[in-house]
Amino acid sequence: MTRQELDAALVRLGLKVPEAERDDIAAAAHLVEEMAALNRKPRAVGAEPAHTVAFPLAKPEG
Amino acid sequence: MVPVYLTVTEAARLIEKRELSPVELTQSRLDRIEKLDGRLHSFVRVLPDAALASARAAEAEIAAGRYKGALHGIPIGLKDIYETAGIPTTGHSKVMQDHVPAADAFTVAKLKDAGCIVMGKLATHEFAFGGPSFDLPWPPARNPWDTTRFTGGSSSGTGASVPAGLVLGGTGSDTGGSIRGPAAYCGLAGIKPTYGLCSRTGILPLAFSLDHAGPMAWTAEDCAIMLQAMAGHDPADPASANHPVPDYRKALTGDVKGLRIGLIRHFYTIDSEADAATRDAIDGAAKKYEAMGASVREVALSPLAEWAACGILIMMSEAYAIHETNLRARFTDFGEIFRDRMVLAGLWTAADYVQALRRRRELVDELDRAMQGLDLVMTAAAASEAPKIDDVPKFATLERPSLTMPFNVTGSPAMSVCCGFTEAGLPLSFQIVGKRFADATVLRAADAYERATPWRERRPPL
Repeated sequence: MTRQELDAALVRLGLKVPEAERDDIAAAAHLVEEMAALNRKPRAVGAEPAHTVAFPLAKPEG
Repeated sequence: MVPVYLTVTEAARLIEKRELSPVELTQSRLDRIEKLDGRLHSFVRVLPDAALASARAAEAEIAAGRYKGALHGIPIGLKDIYETAGIPTTGHSKVMQDHVPAADAFTVAKLKDAGCIVMGKLATHEFAFGGPSFDLPWPPARNPWDTTRFTGGSSSGTGASVPAGLVLGGTGSDTGGSIRGPAAYCGLAGIKPTYGLCSRTGILPLAFSLDHAGPMAWTAEDCAIMLQAMAGHDPADPASANHPVPDYRKALTGDVKGLRIGLIRHFYTIDSEADAATRDAIDGAAKKYEAMGASVREVALSPLAEWAACGILIMMSEAYAIHETNLRARFTDFGEIFRDRMVLAGLWTAADYVQALRRRRELVDELDRAMQGLDLVMTAAAASEAPKIDDVPKFATLERPSLTMPFNVTGSPAMSVCCGFTEAGLPLSFQIVGKRFADATVLRAADAYERATPWRERRPPL
């Protein structure tokens, strides 16, 4: 990630990052890109219902 | 004269027989904190008056025949993300340094009900993620085996204070290894229980879907005693499991005959290559288990980097969501390590997070399949002895795959167990992992190993 790309991302995030820290962050951004890539696997559209919510069981009325 | 070093088990035996006064025990720990914590920095807040008042109350109850059990009169410390009524709970951060909760965390209330004496609040990495940091209101804790060394984190104060004998046990939290890491580097026992076994109500969160609360103490038996008090259903925590809590101490038979253990060797020989001393110590522990009657066979899983990428992405994304408002409003009130790591978390997209959740489901299934026909798996808890505290990179969490994160991803009970020392006198550890809600089996295997080896007899040269 270039410094310009990081600066643009920080504007979108609304974060006021000190100038002295920005080069470090830009240099490390490849680490998050690599981690994201490791989680992307070939999957069919309906392959994986991971993002589901288990609701508490309703108590019987009455 | 109170012995310098006592385990929970040893102290409890003496207290029950009224051969040790909780007041004298508590005072002896306060004296030790006064003597040593200027070097260790394991406490952010010591509570001498409250501790002595609790100890006097415990002593009176015991004298009146109302002995509560093995934690009655036992001095412990609380990681400073566990909320305490009327006492600041800061997350070791300037951002929350004035936060005074109205109520105790669910697990704190349970530990107090069991009779524990709360000695104070222990250091943590900022919001259980940031350290070691030197730009926070309190300094980072130091490793008691060598104070130039890192404790690991984030339960750094608990990791430092227990081996040093400042407290007999303490609480930790573990989102990617924050109990097992400091336990490994500081040579104590620490169990990350099954996800949902211990309530997180009243504990400052790092990542809701990966956060685990648990005990750290000198021995597996001490951890079993503390876990007994901490475990149990809490309707206020949506992830709390309404599951029976067995008698963990009763499971500690000292016998591992017939247990089937899978050794995930590639995690520490290929994926995150450990140094020779660590590899040898873990291989030695596996051989010890075989000699004790367990069977050990190697198992192979997906590369460690995939487990770490899944867990780290989920953990940091959830943490970013939790801290987003304060990051926008008061960025530089956070320490540099925490805030800059959080910026990286902000670069992931919603799709990245959902892809990690999908991968998590697959990895949970993968470990479950691998453990068919096995009772436990073991691997490294850390790749080396504790590094120098000044040598920990700002983005360490992302640069090298974590050996502990896989079992946060799967919610499995996992424990660090000391298995030797380096030439420099620093502890080495392995990790033993069970099936979900088989925490008793993990504790049984850890306890049996400790009893069969000499490592619990050695304490830091303070």
